Amino acid sequence: MLKINNLHASVEQKEILKGLNLDIKPGEVHAIMGPNGAGKSTLGFILSGREGYEVSEGQVEFNGEDLLDMAIEERARKGLFLAFQYPVEIPGVSNMAFMKESVNAIREQRGETPLTATEFLKKAKEACKQVQLSLDFLKRGVNEGFSGGEKKRNEIMQMILLEPSLCILDESDSGLDIDALQVVANGVNSQRDGKRSFIIITHYQRLLDYIKPDYVHILANGKVVKSGDASLATDVEKEGYAFLGQDNAEETNA
Amino acid sequence: MSQWLKQVIDRGQAIDDWLSPLRAQALEALGNTKWPNRRVESWKYTSLAPLEQLELSPSTTAGKAIIEDIEGLNSLDLIFVNGKLQSDISLLSLPQGLHISSLLDASDKQQNTANALFAKIKPQRHLFGLVNDALAEDGLIIDIDANSKIEQPIRIVNISSDGQESHHRVLVRLGSHASATVIEHGQGEQASLSTGFAEYDIGEQAYLEHYRLAMHTHQAIHIGGDHFSLQQKAQLNSTLIAYGSELSRMDVDIIHNGEHAKAKFNAIYLLGEAENFDLHSTIEHVMPNGTTKENARGIVGDKAKAVFNGRIHIHRNAQKTLAELHNRNLLLSRRGQINTKPELEIYADDVLCAHGATVAETEEETLYYLLSRGISRSQALVMLNFGFIQELVEQMPNQHLAQWLKPQLHSRFVEMEVK
Repeated sequence: MLKINNLHASVEQKEILKGLNLDIKPGEVHAIMGPNGAGKSTLGFILSGREGYEVSEGQVEFNGEDLLDMAIEERARKGLFLAFQYPVEIPGVSNMAFMKESVNAIREQRGETPLTATEFLKKAKEACKQVQLSLDFLKRGVNEGFSGGEKKRNEIMQMILLEPSLCILDESDSGLDIDALQVVANGVNSQRDGKRSFIIITHYQRLLDYIKPDYVHILANGKVVKSGDASLATDVEKEGYAFLGQDNAEETNA
Repeated sequence: MSQWLKQVIDRGQAIDDWLSPLRAQALEALGNTKWPNRRVESWKYTSLAPLEQLELSPSTTAGKAIIEDIEGLNSLDLIFVNGKLQSDISLLSLPQGLHISSLLDASDKQQNTANALFAKIKPQRHLFGLVNDALAEDGLIIDIDANSKIEQPIRIVNISSDGQESHHRVLVRLGSHASATVIEHGQGEQASLSTGFAEYDIGEQAYLEHYRLAMHTHQAIHIGGDHFSLQQKAQLNSTLIAYGSELSRMDVDIIHNGEHAKAKFNAIYLLGEAENFDLHSTIEHVMPNGTTKENARGIVGDKAKAVFNGRIHIHRNAQKTLAELHNRNLLLSRRGQINTKPELEIYADDVLCAHGATVAETEEETLYYLLSRGISRSQALVMLNFGFIQELVEQMPNQHLAQWLKPQLHSRFVEMEVK
């Protein structure tokens, strides 16, 4: 599904990723943990195609194709989805119009007929209920005036509607209370079907109590420094990132 | 003195009707007016050259015009073609409390109403307002009795056609506790000149919902104004929609003449190709406890040029005024131009005022968000930039009008975007 090989990337001439490797097969859930500044969010942005990131070395293959060569919207249409840590507010564009446009762009790519307004509304209502947002949220401007938790749930709602093959969740747990965390986790779990893959980027182990990962990777100083199964997350929770050693700690503080 | 102005005065002096005594003052003022050039602040960014180059004859012919119905609006339509009223007012079934007459055949009583309004609310400083004073022979007097709530919107349309010059005037009085909706809608594409000025006296606790649709394009020159006087506790909700043409200019004055008056003024302008649009607004807080909210937003593409000058003047006596003015612009092209100037002039010490003006290009982060959901770049630009305008369209109290406008603004925007 996704193969990252020796990825080096920088932003404003500062190297953030320094030889990152990752191999994700269909149906797998990978958690990426690590201290602040390790490059976790950068990874999500680079995979989704955000501008301003310079890839100097390495390759990323997505379903056998060169991901880095694709435009942002092309990646999304081919099944990559990033749930943002800080989704932007777009007053004046209704959530509903935005999601309909998005769903139909992706359906077109798959050779499916666009949904009519009625068909879309039905699906949107279901997804809205699933993430426990009231239906008013469909009518409001995209993320406009939403609380932190509502924004995260809105991201999960989009994920459910877009049916991507690879979902990247960038700190979807940050700033959530326990109820909202469960809503997010249930949303993710409902989409696990043995084929769809997930990258869960998180600082804390908390979310992984609800979404059980197949693999956990510790990202520090731009590289995967340790990989293991779900128990690795529990170790990190107990002992912190201290085991990464002095070198990495310095980088992190810089 | 310019040739153009000289012939206006000559023609104005030749008119002999019941408005002549009222025109005298304007004619005198015009005689002392210098033709504006770029050194005159109020015309600094807008050239009058296209006007001087036009060869026009004062309108003599007036064809029948068919205007588009606005679904669900159910308006009382008053249609002018080249400044001449085509509608037969006597055929309209006017609701109780609403009196409409043409300037041409006003009764004595209506002339009295007109006398109290004509050039009384519109400040003298507007050059083309004076031209309109001198030359407007046709127009409307709309008088609404105290306590009358007029549900049916009054829609005034003026269509300019090729080679024609026209001047029309609208005078509206809302009695105390009255309410009404007035839509002024102008359109034209071919080489023409129209001036259209309206004066509104909004009585105590009266409410006016107002729309000005200045939809002149291409060679149709339009210069107009809306001037509102608000009495105690009066309320105004006004929306201006403007396209651009070779020369298009609007002057808006909102004057708080009574305490506790509330005014909301939204303006939207969408300009493409080599279009020009110039909006000058002045809010005068003469009395205390008034509220004003003004929001002007524009999108400028290609080689188009927008001018916004928004002034709020808070007089010494106008304590406890709340006034806000915001102008936001989006520039779609490097060749486009936006000249914006908000001005605050405050002489009272206990007031709350805010103003601001921005010119922006599309925000990368927002664009990225839409692209990351599979939406194409061109569609994302339409959604984002149009959303900025849509917000104000949705604030229009009349949803039928908003529904009618949305697809038009949208397709105009899409055209601007692709060029």
